[in-house]
Amino acid sequence: MFKKVLIANRGEIAVRVIRACRDMGIPTVAVYSDVDRYSQHVLLANEAYEIGPAPSVDSYLRDDKIIAVAKKAGVDAIHPGYGFLSERAFFAKAVEAAGIAFIGPSAQNIEAMGDKLSAIKLMRKADVPTVPGSNGAVETYEDAQKVAEKIGYPIMIKASAGGGGKGMRVVHKPEDLESAFRAAKSEGLNYFKDDTVYMERFITNPKHIEIQIFGDKHGNAVHLFERECSVQRRHQKIIEESPSPSVPEAVKKKMGEVAVHAAKSIGYVGAGTFEFIFDNSTKEFFFMEMNTRLQVEHPITEMVTGFDLVKEQLSVAAGNPLSFKQEDVKQQGHAIECRICAEDPETFIPSPGLVRRFRPPSGPHVRVETYVYSGYDIPIYYDPMIAKVVTWGQTRDEAIARMKRALVEFTLTGVKSNIVLHNSILKSSKFLDGSYTTQFCEKDLKVEQPDLFKHIDDKVFLIAAAIASYKNRETKIDNSQIKIESTSRWKQVSRRHAMRY
Amino acid sequence: MYFEALLKKKKYQINVSKRDYVWFVQLKEEGSDEWDEFHIPYSDFEEADNIISFIFNHESYLVDVVSDGLDCQVYSRGSYRDLKIYNDEMLLHESLKSGGMGGNDSSLRAGMPGKIVKILVNEGDEVAAGKPLLVMEAMKMENEMKAPSNVKITKLHVKPGDNVESGATLISF
Repeated sequence: MFKKVLIANRGEIAVRVIRACRDMGIPTVAVYSDVDRYSQHVLLANEAYEIGPAPSVDSYLRDDKIIAVAKKAGVDAIHPGYGFLSERAFFAKAVEAAGIAFIGPSAQNIEAMGDKLSAIKLMRKADVPTVPGSNGAVETYEDAQKVAEKIGYPIMIKASAGGGGKGMRVVHKPEDLESAFRAAKSEGLNYFKDDTVYMERFITNPKHIEIQIFGDKHGNAVHLFERECSVQRRHQKIIEESPSPSVPEAVKKKMGEVAVHAAKSIGYVGAGTFEFIFDNSTKEFFFMEMNTRLQVEHPITEMVTGFDLVKEQLSVAAGNPLSFKQEDVKQQGHAIECRICAEDPETFIPSPGLVRRFRPPSGPHVRVETYVYSGYDIPIYYDPMIAKVVTWGQTRDEAIARMKRALVEFTLTGVKSNIVLHNSILKSSKFLDGSYTTQFCEKDLKVEQPDLFKHIDDKVFLIAAAIASYKNRETKIDNSQIKIESTSRWKQVSRRHAMRY
Repeated sequence: MYFEALLKKKKYQINVSKRDYVWFVQLKEEGSDEWDEFHIPYSDFEEADNIISFIFNHESYLVDVVSDGLDCQVYSRGSYRDLKIYNDEMLLHESLKSGGMGGNDSSLRAGMPGKIVKILVNEGDEVAAGKPLLVMEAMKMENEMKAPSNVKITKLHVKPGDNVESGATLISF
């Protein structure tokens, strides 16, 4: 096993990896940008090195600085977390070239699956179903018209290098094709310096279902069942659950088999996720993309299977065979994750700043992954996700009830958060009956729960503000006179009693 | 102590006072004639673990109030409200600035509760903008209230010595 591990990341995922390392008795090295000096990962790691100014390009994306620190600190492995350098083949290569193990798939794996077009080609070869589409780049508008005729409307046009909702266009009728095609191309060029676009059938009742897989260096691969991540805002997941309430047993089995076969076909090593678009009317599933890293939502898989995916990542990277076989993996009970973001829940504008009070929930089967604390100043430079609340239950209803309870317990003040959005989702009938699709937040929720703030009476806030303002005024007036408060609380209580009786 | 609050574009009038170990809070929403009254024992609004524990109608809330005087953010149970709180001092300022908060071109209104000391105009007078109309005592200070624009006095609603509530119409133009 490794002697010392560097975590090339920040935030809750860096904390998560540090914990796994501690569980295995491995010392950890944190790297941090100057604004992250007081971030939890720096406080928790055994060693910490500053790697530059706040913008990611000057710190967390500086592979050269990170590898230099790794050498200096004498680590024998680097965990990239998710985001930042985690899916950059050049980083995996550079790490290995420095004689350090990269805790993740091989550079070839990352390269093969990183480009969406080449990934789809590879998956077709491995008999993985894919969405009917252009089978590659569409160069001209004339080609786009031909492809559209073949696959039928509605159609999605996507920038090959795109992500996070950028460079995507849905076309419902032929007359809109031309403008959408040009828009996707120019967005691809503007955001990703690549105007390659492809086209595919647009699925009207789509769910996002993904399969967690794990491979080792000995040719083994297993799956750890599915996660449903259809609750999204602006193409970003906000609630995930496992199992999915919509995937029939037979389809689930098939998806697992397909994913394992695909992983073996590319000799995949480590944790990875096959993302599928699932048609909730036909129960068909089509490969979307593969994430060659640990996912944000991996805890729900850990909750239902009982395995520690990060420890397994380290073990597999060290060359050990997988610690479990397919038949050992059972999906037990139900787990849900809510991503807590410091943002306006209606406009999604980030709300960084000072966290005054932070009291995360706890209690039976509640798990919180976070890196903030009371008095922590959330920097403006990084992702607004500050915590993940994960709950488990014997049944879906129990997991949901626990989540509702956990969110009530969650005290987070000083910054805006999307907790009210989660509360509203957890009360929505489409979420509760499991029929929600990826359009749930944009469409259904707005109709069913138009006011995210109605769940607590305005009076509570008004009265609290008024009494607090009264106290403020009083203190101001008091401070202008010299006054010594000498009555102890014990005396106050006894006087109060004396008045009552 | 009298406050006015602005929440979700709605105006509220709030009175807070201390009575034998309770906060006596009166709350009125704009457009309503009813004052809601609350008796909140001091022990139901206490600091614990650097946050306010507020027991309201037997519901237990952890509340944090962040205020720079006027703008106020109140957090509880994962939810929050952005509101404005005008205290007596601020209301007085507003009142002096604009000739009465809520005052406009057709009337002069009291920006806060007080007592009429002197009336400087008569019905039928034409008064230029900025000229004093009456003197009102509030917060133990006498304040001149001025004409918001060039106006003609059509009706005086008060006389010296009258106590007036916040929002009361004093003079119609």
